[in-house]
Amino acid sequence: MALANWFRVGSRNERPGITGLSHFFEHMMFNGAKKYGPGEFDRVMEANGGSNNAFTSEDVTVYLDWFPASALPLILDLEQDRLQSLAFDPKVIESERGVVYSERRSGVDNDNGGALQEQMQATAFVAHPYQIPVIGWPSDIESWRMEDLQQYFKTYYAPNNATLVLAGDLDPARVFEQVEATLGTIPSQPAPEPVRTKEPEQQGERRIVVKKLAQSPLLQVAYHGLAANDPDAETLELLGLILTHGDSSRLHRKLVDEARVAIRVRGTTAGGFDPSLTWFYVDLPPGGDLAKTEALLTSELARVVKDGVSDAELKKARNVALASFWRKLETNSGRARELGNAATFRGDWKALLDTPARYEKVTRDGVKALAARIFNNDHRTVGWLVPTTAPAAAPASKEAAR
Amino acid sequence: MSAPMMSPRSLRSALAALLFTSACATAPAPTPSPTPPPAEPQAASAPATPAPAAPLSTKGVTLPETTSVTLKNGVRLLLVEKHELPLVSFSAWLRGGAVTDPAGKEGLAALTAELLQKGAGSRNAQQFADAVDGVGGELEVVPGREGLVLNGSFQSRDTALMVELLSDMLVRPRFDAQELEKARALRVSEIASAKDGDPRALIGVYFNAFHFPAHPYGGSAVGSEASLPGISRNDVLGWAKANLGADRLILSVVGDFDAKLLAAKLESALGGWAKASQPLPTVPATAPTKGRHVLLVDKPDATQTYFAIGNTGIRRTDPDRVVAELGNTVLGGRFTSLLNTELRVKTGLTYGARSSLQSHLQPGTVVLTSYTQTASTGRAIDLALDVLTRYRQEGMDDAMLASAKAYVLGQFPPTLETGEQLAMKLSELAFYGLDARDVNGFAGDVSAASRDGVRTVLQRVLPAPEDLTFVLIGKAEALRDVARKYGPVTEMKISDKRFAPPAAPGR
Repeated sequence: MALANWFRVGSRNERPGITGLSHFFEHMMFNGAKKYGPGEFDRVMEANGGSNNAFTSEDVTVYLDWFPASALPLILDLEQDRLQSLAFDPKVIESERGVVYSERRSGVDNDNGGALQEQMQATAFVAHPYQIPVIGWPSDIESWRMEDLQQYFKTYYAPNNATLVLAGDLDPARVFEQVEATLGTIPSQPAPEPVRTKEPEQQGERRIVVKKLAQSPLLQVAYHGLAANDPDAETLELLGLILTHGDSSRLHRKLVDEARVAIRVRGTTAGGFDPSLTWFYVDLPPGGDLAKTEALLTSELARVVKDGVSDAELKKARNVALASFWRKLETNSGRARELGNAATFRGDWKALLDTPARYEKVTRDGVKALAARIFNNDHRTVGWLVPTTAPAAAPASKEAAR
Repeated sequence: MSAPMMSPRSLRSALAALLFTSACATAPAPTPSPTPPPAEPQAASAPATPAPAAPLSTKGVTLPETTSVTLKNGVRLLLVEKHELPLVSFSAWLRGGAVTDPAGKEGLAALTAELLQKGAGSRNAQQFADAVDGVGGELEVVPGREGLVLNGSFQSRDTALMVELLSDMLVRPRFDAQELEKARALRVSEIASAKDGDPRALIGVYFNAFHFPAHPYGGSAVGSEASLPGISRNDVLGWAKANLGADRLILSVVGDFDAKLLAAKLESALGGWAKASQPLPTVPATAPTKGRHVLLVDKPDATQTYFAIGNTGIRRTDPDRVVAELGNTVLGGRFTSLLNTELRVKTGLTYGARSSLQSHLQPGTVVLTSYTQTASTGRAIDLALDVLTRYRQEGMDDAMLASAKAYVLGQFPPTLETGEQLAMKLSELAFYGLDARDVNGFAGDVSAASRDGVRTVLQRVLPAPEDLTFVLIGKAEALRDVARKYGPVTEMKISDKRFAPPAAPGR
């Protein structure tokens, strides 16, 4: 059986001083509550055949458990304990800071793609909290306070701010009873303050350069895109697939196969609660030409704006999206995840069932019109990672031993 | 909601990325488990390991009924009908992988495998990609150490196309000269680019190269920046003639189809394929090395040290493999493992610490891996060594054994949930000469394991503290003194064009 508990809180709900707190909180949810002390959550779960994970994004924090169906009562007890009475032990908090810092070093400081992406995001948004990196800025990682955590827990970890999904070998009526008797006893809280800030329209291209010790340059380009529940979300998804999915995609063909200026092109178009970025990530070979690569990418996007896409391309993108939809539903875990996704971002789990129909509705005209709307160079941020040969001067020297 | 990849950065599970890359780079390994890294708290003497609360579900997994056909030319077909979703998946395993690479031509088998999808039959590379992507198909080439693996997933309405594409790749690859040149250059750049990324992706390659300096298991399966440029089209043609052939193929297909009809279709598509011209070379045995050896790989800008510590472990077919995996679960195979508890949960030194067994036809490696900020390198390695030494000596208590059994049993079914997972498992079993008992008997073997039994196996499988290979990737300037504590140090740079230190025999 798979359980997914979706909380509507992420780095989007943060502000200077507490950046990274949502993700840190995700870690703290495994570090002890009233009945099950530090380490017990994992220990008890694993001793009963279960395992777990969690992830945090700009918009949500999601907790996932996988376990034999017979362990459901115990899993609900574990979940209830941490959601009802999480503990905040100062010693555990200090130790977990180190864990998160190590995670940051791997994902950002010692990974050039991650380092550039963080700067891109911080540049593309000047007002909206999507500018905040999920992992948090280093100085905030060092200084989150106990009160911040407690406040966060009370505000966001309330049942009215979450959606619980279970999938697998279960009897729905019985499960509703079991959940009602456990998680159902936790009181609601006042709704969290909404995120009111809207990103103002960008008035011209922004450009950044990050210098790192490296062999290979990187190019990232991000346009202001759509929110998850935008009526054009599927159109954008299919457009993204046409541009970057597989060796037959336009950008792979142009940049990797024909001009050979890049070794890999990827893209993402998915949105969150608020309008999000549509990304292109281009990895260059050692000594690669950033200016030339950027110009080729730009002209490929201009071509789709001018001429649209072919019937074959649209059909392909539909097939890719549809096959991917079926593959995600092959596992209990995938079903729990996709149902939670639909419930959270579309407001109704049933929206998942209409997915194939929504792909059918996408038209070539729609794709062309949307491309023109999104691929406006005044609405983009361009980032170059420029390799240097000498190590940067002691970048993270501030992170003292603790 | 997105199709390919979107932002939710799976933070707690960043290690998943590592599994992906190292599956390509290190192991011909079967399915990496879909579940993330994992682990467990408390030392071997932990008093507080809770006993399972509910009666354990020890049902286990039974492999579905399989239609098994061997064609006259030696092709082995394994077919399973699975009708819940309109999908069909295949897993084609070809014996003879990177171990057949000639010295100095590391990456030849992998490059040849990559070219199978760059033009075959009536389609050139672009047309082939159009055909796969056009129907929403997926195709993956995994260049393993002892075999090449092609995995695919299609919608069942496209089964006929899938058979055509697969048989074209196997029987009628074009090995176009320009595609070869492009793929080779791309591979070199990808390796260089990986060195700018998260070192977790590469540490296994360095470890194997240093630990098996004179054995084919030491070669980088994907090749190196030094070896790839020397690979010519003649090398590829020669390798393909010698190694691609009907007698080398095990093909499993699982999904929404009629097994009889599909068997007939596959027989007509693959029945005329010739055998490989060369007998399959045998891989020399491997054994644990004696003494301690340290490789320090200099990444001058690193703020964190990535380390791997281990020795030679066991074969895939080792009779004690289930018990060994159970023992490894406690050491470093789940979130509450001894290693993760010590290095992450208790001390906050790292985001993750784990151990794993890579088992091949011959014994592969057993390795502990983690990473920590440069200044705490010595402390983290010492802790990892303490855990290993103590565990090897003392084993685990009853509660820990019960917990590990429950965990391993509970997490087993999701590893065989999808058609793709099943197809890979069927081929993998056939590849190693194992039968359904490997899966069907798994739960029984786990349940039957005793404390003493596990301890005995672990003393054989886990390396003795005096016999260890160490690889450290980090800022060498700050690490030389630390590294020296663990044994004689060999040093190289991450920018070196090979994965083995210059002194070692060329690879």
